Amino acid sequence: MASIRISSLHKVYGKTPAVRGVDLSIGTGEFVVILGPSGCGKSTLLRMIAGLEDITSGVVAIDDVIVNDLEPGDRGCAMVFQNYALYPHMSVSENIGYSLKVAGVARAERDEKIRRVATLLGLDTFLDRRPAQLSGGQRQRVAMGRAMIRSPRVFLFDEPLSNLDAKLRLQMRLEIKRLHRELGSTSIFVTHDQLEAMTLADRLVVMNGGKIEQVGTPQEIYRRPASLFVADFLGSPPMNFIPAVIDDEGKAVCADGLRPCPDLIWDLEPGAEVRIGVRPGDLQIVGRSARGALPFEVEMVEDLGTENHLHGTTTGLRMTAVLATGEAVPDHPFAVLIPESAVHLFRERDGARIDPRSVSRIH
Amino acid sequence: MSETRAVKLPTGGIRALPALPRLNLAPWLYLAPALITIVVWTYLPLIEAFQLSFYQWNMLPTSPKRFVGLANYAHLLTLPEMHAALANTAIYILGLFPMSVIIPLAVAIFTQDLKGPMRNVYRTLIFVPMIIAPVVAAIVWRWLLNEDHGLVNVALDTLGLHRIGFLQDPNFALATLIWITGWKLIGFSTLLFSAANASINPSYVEAARMDGASRCQIIRDIRLPLLSPTILLLSMMTVLFGAQWSFTYINVLTGGGPLKSTTNIFYLLWDYGFGSLSVGWSSAAGMIAFAGFTMIAFFCLRLMKRCSVYDN
Repeated sequence: MASIRISSLHKVYGKTPAVRGVDLSIGTGEFVVILGPSGCGKSTLLRMIAGLEDITSGVVAIDDVIVNDLEPGDRGCAMVFQNYALYPHMSVSENIGYSLKVAGVARAERDEKIRRVATLLGLDTFLDRRPAQLSGGQRQRVAMGRAMIRSPRVFLFDEPLSNLDAKLRLQMRLEIKRLHRELGSTSIFVTHDQLEAMTLADRLVVMNGGKIEQVGTPQEIYRRPASLFVADFLGSPPMNFIPAVIDDEGKAVCADGLRPCPDLIWDLEPGAEVRIGVRPGDLQIVGRSARGALPFEVEMVEDLGTENHLHGTTTGLRMTAVLATGEAVPDHPFAVLIPESAVHLFRERDGARIDPRSVSRIH
Repeated sequence: MSETRAVKLPTGGIRALPALPRLNLAPWLYLAPALITIVVWTYLPLIEAFQLSFYQWNMLPTSPKRFVGLANYAHLLTLPEMHAALANTAIYILGLFPMSVIIPLAVAIFTQDLKGPMRNVYRTLIFVPMIIAPVVAAIVWRWLLNEDHGLVNVALDTLGLHRIGFLQDPNFALATLIWITGWKLIGFSTLLFSAANASINPSYVEAARMDGASRCQIIRDIRLPLLSPTILLLSMMTVLFGAQWSFTYINVLTGGGPLKSTTNIFYLLWDYGFGSLSVGWSSAAGMIAFAGFTMIAFFCLRLMKRCSVYDN
């Protein structure tokens, strides 16, 4: 177990920056998930921590020891690769025990450890098989075993579940969570799958364009996204956005003069362009005459079994609302209302989140 | 909307046709060019050579073929010339190994990380011999190795060493021909090894680095096993064809001499056939070579199947 400190980390490929000034501290035993779209630099960041990628500038320290120039094998990290990277010419037990073999551990001790790890992962009956003879889930377990046997200070996961089907992914996700609870090792998990990120993380790091957008618990990030990017990236179906302009009173006015949140005031200069964000599940269905209501025209309903997704338009903008399956889809013209507590507002200029100043109720 | 209508076949329809055997010609047509080539250029000559190996004949259409049974074989197997050729064939093959397998493998692995202009320089240097025509290469080497005026001997002279009759001295001629054959091969082998080495999934190497393996351990435990199909392929090619590859150089440079020191089974059977026009001997020598190399090929293929590790 170890703590990790990353400061001003940069990575440039030729002239293309991949990681641009990342600062991050990870506590002992923490499970940190780095989430972001493809090409955001998350895998590069992980590989720099592992030592597989040279650091252009900045510092990576494990347990307060700078490891920038240490070989990957000397950093005390173990990694689970996206494609598992199991040595195809070695059996399962040789794959798991390879790190011990190169470390010169005696055969008897090695076998004993391999057996212990294999039993923990339910692999004890496959020890003589080659990776090609294993299913996707079993290969994933072998990759985990290979990482675990070294009792590493840090576990690094590079999108390890992306090659598995949905059911197996859920199963392995739970397994990883269980193993983390049992072993308590510091873990960094890179993914572009928000479900994995939300369910696994103690702390979530959202990256975009080589930079960290937000760090926090999954709940914090989901409930209070710090930027337009985070708000848009996290959540399925994604957050609805309504362009608006701040008026002289500090209230947001949409096209057609509609005021979706009539009682909220923001400390922004009049005329400032903003976007009001609201999660589809937070929208309330109301009559068209209600105060602050936005008329909603349904175009399509998706029944997901547990809920209905209503896709339609509001003031000419695409919008999605989520209704629990039990709630009937209104068959008459209706509107949606944004509850005050569900309003997220972002400045158009830089995408920063701006919280309302106060709530002034008229009645 | 669309609707499906039953199409009524004319009375009798397909059933009325006479029952012809269904001959599907297409696959045979596709295979024909390859099959015809193999049969005409490989199997027919092989069968004919097998027949001729039991006759005495001097290739003149007017002269009669005389059946001699196994006499050609019996004669050949007792001929010291044949023993020397067989021994030389083995020496050619063994001598070629370092240049067709070991050096190219090492070059491919150690130049893997070369980048930019250095990579191009090394590639050009290593591939140039490969694209030179064999006869041209042979002549250039004859000039270089000339005992009186060749650059190599001038260099030896300058260093205060004795001049060497590379192609005239029976102690050196065989080694010289092996060197020239191998020099021509290095580029080809390096090309194959470089391609195979570059196609090793880099994540295996990264996984091994994470596991704490050193550069040497990665080569020993990851690269070499994953290169095993190519290593075995090139080894097999060297064993089966190595002695054949030297034919041009023997023919152009030494004609099997001096004192038959550079002849091998392939040169010998050519010499019997087209030098002394003893077709029976030549065919018998060909059949002996064919039988021997067939057995070796069979053994090599089994070995490849068993030992090769393929990436999944």
